[in-house]
Parts: sequence; structure tokens; C-alpha cells
Amino acid sequence: MKQSLGRQSGVQKVEVSLLNGTADVTPKEDGQIDPVKLLGVAYDSGVTVAEMDMTAEGKIVKDASGNLALQVEPNRSFELAPNELSSGLESLAGTQTTVTVRGQLYKEPAGKKKKKVDTPVPLKLLILEVEKKNR
Amino acid sequence: MSIKRIALALFLGCVLAPMSQAQIKHIEMRLEGMT
Repeated sequence: MKQSLGRQSGVQKVEVSLLNGTADVTPKEDGQIDPVKLLGVAYDSGVTVAEMDMTAEGKIVKDASGNLALQVEPNRSFELAPNELSSGLESLAGTQTTVTVRGQLYKEPAGKKKKKVDTPVPLKLLILEVEKKNR
Repeated sequence: MSIKRIALALFLGCVLAPMSQAQIKHIEMRLEGMT
């Protein structure tokens, strides 16, 4: 699985810990990494991703529906799941301020096992921690 | 001419620099079923 993940575009380094049951992925700075693809690759390697956390820096924007999103690339943004932390970032929407956040991008639905993650719907980012704000 | 180029470079730097910082920095997956 380490090799499969490492072959994905935008992936610089992969560290898999059998002991902890985790895979740490360090992206390249080219912005080509696709978290949804990583979920699919992990599934194809025969493992189930129980949870995916992401640390990312980007701007807070509002999408066409008025939902808050973290824009990490000009053409890529992750809708924010509403919680107290995301509400605190609402005032930054549309500004040039960038924030670094750690959040949960995917969690395996309860009671479902070994189902391929192949969702066309963008994953929602549940913010767990706001690490930094840069004006 | 060179002043215009420097001014353009500074302008583009100001516009593009904040966006170039934006990126995914780290991804961690908790896995099940690994042997």
C-alpha cells in the first residue's frame, strides 16, 4: 500500500506504521494531491480507511450555496462541516487572510465495512483545530 | 523599461504569493485491516 500511495501524483513521502495502523502522507508542494484518490488507493490495497485527517492552509471562501469552504488551490476547495470552529472563521470569508487548520476529512460510517470510497460528492472538512491565521 | 518590469514583478508577487502558500500540508489516515 505504501508503494501505491507513493505513486500517486502530488505525494512526496508515505510512512506506514503497522503498529499504530496509520499512514502519514506528506504532499509535494505542487498541489496535485487528491485526498479522495488516496482513499480509493487504500481500499484497492485491501485496507479500510477508518479516518482521514488533513492539515491544510488556505483561504476561507463561500461557495455558490453560501456554505463555508477552505480553498487550498485556485480550483480546489473543501466544504467546511458546521461547528464552533468553522463559525469562528466565517468573518474571514472572502478576505485574503489564510488559515492553517487541522481537520477530519473522512470518517468511516458506523456499521459499514469495506465499502469503496468513490464519492463524487466533495468530502466535508470538520475542523478540529485552527493552528494559524496569516493576514 | 526595467523599472516597469520590476514593478510588474512586485505586483505579481503580491497577488500570487498568498495563494502559493495555500496547500495541503499533511494527511494522516487511520487504517483497518492491515496485516
